[in-house]
Amino acid sequence: MPREVVSTGNQLAALAAIDAGCKFFGGYPITPSSEVAHEMSKLLPKVGGVFIQMEDEIAGISVALGASMSGVKSMTNTSGPGISLKAEQIGLGFMAEVPLVITNVMRGGPSTGLPTRPAQGDILQAKAPTHGDYQSIALCPGNLDECYTEVVRAFNIAEKLMTPVFVLLDETLGHMVGKAVLPDLEEVKASLVERRKFEGDPKDYRPYDVPDDEPAILNPFFQGYRYHITGLHHGPTGFPTEDAVLSQKLIDRLFNKILSRRDELESNEEFMMDDNPDLLIIAYGSVSLAAKEAIKELRKEGLKVGLFRPITLWPSPEKKLEELGQKYKKILVAEMNKGQYLQEIQRAMGRKDLYTLLKANGRPISPTEFKNKIREILEK
Amino acid sequence: MKKITNLKEFACTPDRFLGGHRLCPGCAHSMIVREVVNATDDDLVVSTATGCLEVCSAIYPYTSWDVSWIHIGFENAAAAISGAEAMHKALKRKGKLYTDRPVKFVAFGGDGGTYDIGFQALSGATERGHDFLYVCLDNEGYMNTGGQRSSSTPIGAHTTTSPRGRVSYGEKQKKKDITMIMAAHGSPYVATACPSYWKDLAVKAQKALETEGPTFINALSPCTTEWKFKPEETVRIGELAVESCAFPLYEIENGTKLRITYRPKKKIPVKEYLGAQGRFSHLFKKGNEWILDLWQKQVDEYWDYLQRREECGV
Repeated sequence: MPREVVSTGNQLAALAAIDAGCKFFGGYPITPSSEVAHEMSKLLPKVGGVFIQMEDEIAGISVALGASMSGVKSMTNTSGPGISLKAEQIGLGFMAEVPLVITNVMRGGPSTGLPTRPAQGDILQAKAPTHGDYQSIALCPGNLDECYTEVVRAFNIAEKLMTPVFVLLDETLGHMVGKAVLPDLEEVKASLVERRKFEGDPKDYRPYDVPDDEPAILNPFFQGYRYHITGLHHGPTGFPTEDAVLSQKLIDRLFNKILSRRDELESNEEFMMDDNPDLLIIAYGSVSLAAKEAIKELRKEGLKVGLFRPITLWPSPEKKLEELGQKYKKILVAEMNKGQYLQEIQRAMGRKDLYTLLKANGRPISPTEFKNKIREILEK
Repeated sequence: MKKITNLKEFACTPDRFLGGHRLCPGCAHSMIVREVVNATDDDLVVSTATGCLEVCSAIYPYTSWDVSWIHIGFENAAAAISGAEAMHKALKRKGKLYTDRPVKFVAFGGDGGTYDIGFQALSGATERGHDFLYVCLDNEGYMNTGGQRSSSTPIGAHTTTSPRGRVSYGEKQKKKDITMIMAAHGSPYVATACPSYWKDLAVKAQKALETEGPTFINALSPCTTEWKFKPEETVRIGELAVESCAFPLYEIENGTKLRITYRPKKKIPVKEYLGAQGRFSHLFKKGNEWILDLWQKQVDEYWDYLQRREECGV
């Protein structure tokens, strides 16, 4: 049976992690994300898990990576400045193929920025959080229900593709109190994905010896399979190499294992798009809540407006965006930053003539602002 | 050197950390900071790590700081002050300063920004030997972000990330001994202090500021909000900490010469200190007596250790 709860986005993210089978949390307090840690510190001991508050952000992700290597589902949580500090170790996660869920409850930046106010300023950071070549995955809940479901999905993706996965909340969603309808617990449990294991003779175990578009197979520690994990370029056994062919193959595979599954990773919502609206809003995260309210009110006035909301931001729904770009003449992109996802939309559509509603002052975009902007565009 | 004799006179000197800030009523931070910055008449450059003090003392368009003030990231107050001090030294050597008035450099950090995330920067700055004073405002937790544990949180304390309940009695680890760690760096002067003993703190601050090289003061800052006591009891809680020897006051010169600066006339049981705070209330429930016993044992052993060190002159 679906569960109805009254909760906050941050608490739901923690609950989802527990339901997804997460047994380890390592992190460091940072506004506005700390409630995820608070909740995990209460819930984990009850399910036999381990919560450790570390001495800083770098240790926070490192301990979570270490725990994940021993085979348990593992999570860390922070806000933008914390991602900046964790950046190098996120790269280790990509390179060594260690599954990890990283929730980022976004606040105003750069630097210390606006700690208690919402922003969507870490969209490009989630695409490229660290140096080098890799493909990242970032999911962006747009309401309280999804603060739960997207965290569960993040764990499944991380385990399946052996990679860190970002879940991008923002201060609005993280601290929003409201009713959420969560899927049936048994259904959630049945949907869970566990990482693959090598079952053969330990002598034959080569963790990175996998096809061109497959993730590594890292057996849990302490079970008799010894192997080498490194942030250096490595060959099939995991030992460091400078071999040109092996290096290229490794990086190509880090892309291929994700991009070959682009379609199954893609997740979007189409809101009131059935009747070919005169204007299409593209928004994600908490901004979409205001967009929906504006659309409902504008439709009462007879203005036909719809919303396209990407939930998987990276890799982006490239093809879908291209189609939308051909279909809709008037498109309004709204986000709480200076146009970070706008760049990706322009690229995918090959269009520069998009309308924008951008805000980077720590204040949410209100339905009224949407309405004023849309009236202005449609009455031209 | 400024004369510090009686409280009335000291309190009447021109303030360099002004009122009107937004620290909680009853917060000990402002008491400590005022005493430190008022302990010298020299020019001051202050760097402050992210924390309660930083967010509450300079909210646009206001500021409490009547000194040069740098807010830097959470982890690097000591690194920032190192840069300012190194550059001042270089400009002085080249004769490029517009004044030859002496300048003192002070960094403030909470226990999170000192014991934990800022420790690397503090250790580095101390090892390099910059001429500055680092003051840790030790309220035993991350009080600015909602009261999470830090490595300064003492055993048994309830915090938002070491919650008490059926499964747990709160914080499991004992408080990290930061003052001894800083003394082990060979710092020329380190001390503990508590604002309930104003003169002890002011004199130590002055001594630290006048000492050349990296100096360190760990100041206990009872936190009305997260330790859960009434705002008017801050000074009393500080007294209980010191009189029970849970937080002894001492100083160490060059890492080798320890002196106890305040001896309680009659050492009170540590229960009295713990019992006055909501964060320890669960320790007085049945089944948790062993934690109180452990507390008392640790306090006694440490007090004994300090006395033996002082006696031996090491």
